[in-house]
Amino acid sequence: MIDKTKKELEIRFPLLKLVREMHNYLHVEVEKASAMDAILMAKTSLGFKTLQLISSVDRMEENLFQMTWILENYNNETTLLISARYPRENCIVPSLSDIWPAASAFEREIFEMFGISFPGNPREGEDFLLEGWKDIPPMRRDFLTEEYSMKLYGERQPREHLDPRQYIGDMVGEWNTPMGQKRKEEK
Amino acid sequence: MYCNQRPEKPGVKKGMLEKINNMARANSLWVTAYGTGCGAIELRPLGTSRFDMERFGIAMRPTPRQADVLIISGYLATKTLKRVIRVYEQIQDPKYIIALGSCTINGGMYFDSYNTLNVLDKYLPVDVYVMGCMPRPEAVIDGFSLLMQKIKDGRAQGWKHYKENLDYYRENQKKIITDWDLPDYNW
Repeated sequence: MIDKTKKELEIRFPLLKLVREMHNYLHVEVEKASAMDAILMAKTSLGFKTLQLISSVDRMEENLFQMTWILENYNNETTLLISARYPRENCIVPSLSDIWPAASAFEREIFEMFGISFPGNPREGEDFLLEGWKDIPPMRRDFLTEEYSMKLYGERQPREHLDPRQYIGDMVGEWNTPMGQKRKEEK
Repeated sequence: MYCNQRPEKPGVKKGMLEKINNMARANSLWVTAYGTGCGAIELRPLGTSRFDMERFGIAMRPTPRQADVLIISGYLATKTLKRVIRVYEQIQDPKYIIALGSCTINGGMYFDSYNTLNVLDKYLPVDVYVMGCMPRPEAVIDGFSLLMQKIKDGRAQGWKHYKENLDYYRENQKKIITDWDLPDYNW
């Protein structure tokens, strides 16, 4: 099943790199210029009609974003992953929201979390998960989470005493019962 | 329609009548059916026959206007905090907050997250903390019995503290909610 898909993709895209292959699963990497062609070809002529997920990986050392589109063919239960690499500065990726309307939500999330722009998405820039975010996008690897959290939310100061009676006082559970009250008065 | 006036400072009530009132309040704690985070899962068994919270007079209410207790069940994101403030301020006086789990105490396993707050009592007055990750229903019932004891003794005064120190709480809330679009006073 997956052999036929692989053969047709290799004929059309000679620069294609094979990442992983299993009996019902194929992961290929294409040039960024031919990524949209590969996705359209998979949808129209290879039968991968469902978009499952769009994901993004920040490869900061190589100064790249790796985008992956996960497509599914429910007729013969096969999965196709198409990856492409885009430069990290001012990253622009074509939108798929006119082909699959569901792609709009994934693209809004990636825009918020990585700062990748998808021109052509009608709802681009709307708040998805973060409301009123002003820092650099939080899933980029140069965003320092712990530093940000300590600066904005702060830390609870540790206890000065280790004996719970010092800071809970009357609220210690055993003193709440009538017997406990009697014992407390005896002390 | 919202109230656009600052809350009046609550007076100190003492005497026999207040004691009887507190007794009645402690034995009919009605909880807003609102869950944040994973602790909402632990609250469901409380209503079933095994733990049966109704034998203590604790019942779930569908709206904050009918309730006295708000349970913050687990980690609180800044986006959720906005809704929680809205719910808390709509509860009629007297009102109490129970916070479950280590996430509300010091951030728990999300201490370095960009989106969850670490110290809850900077933003809302908490009467009882229940520790655990997550606390079992038995621990939640223990927390409720502690709250009942506090109410009977007249020590559950978090809502008074909130009204008297509203500026302090508002300042902290507005520091992390950058797109503040709530009305200033919504009781």
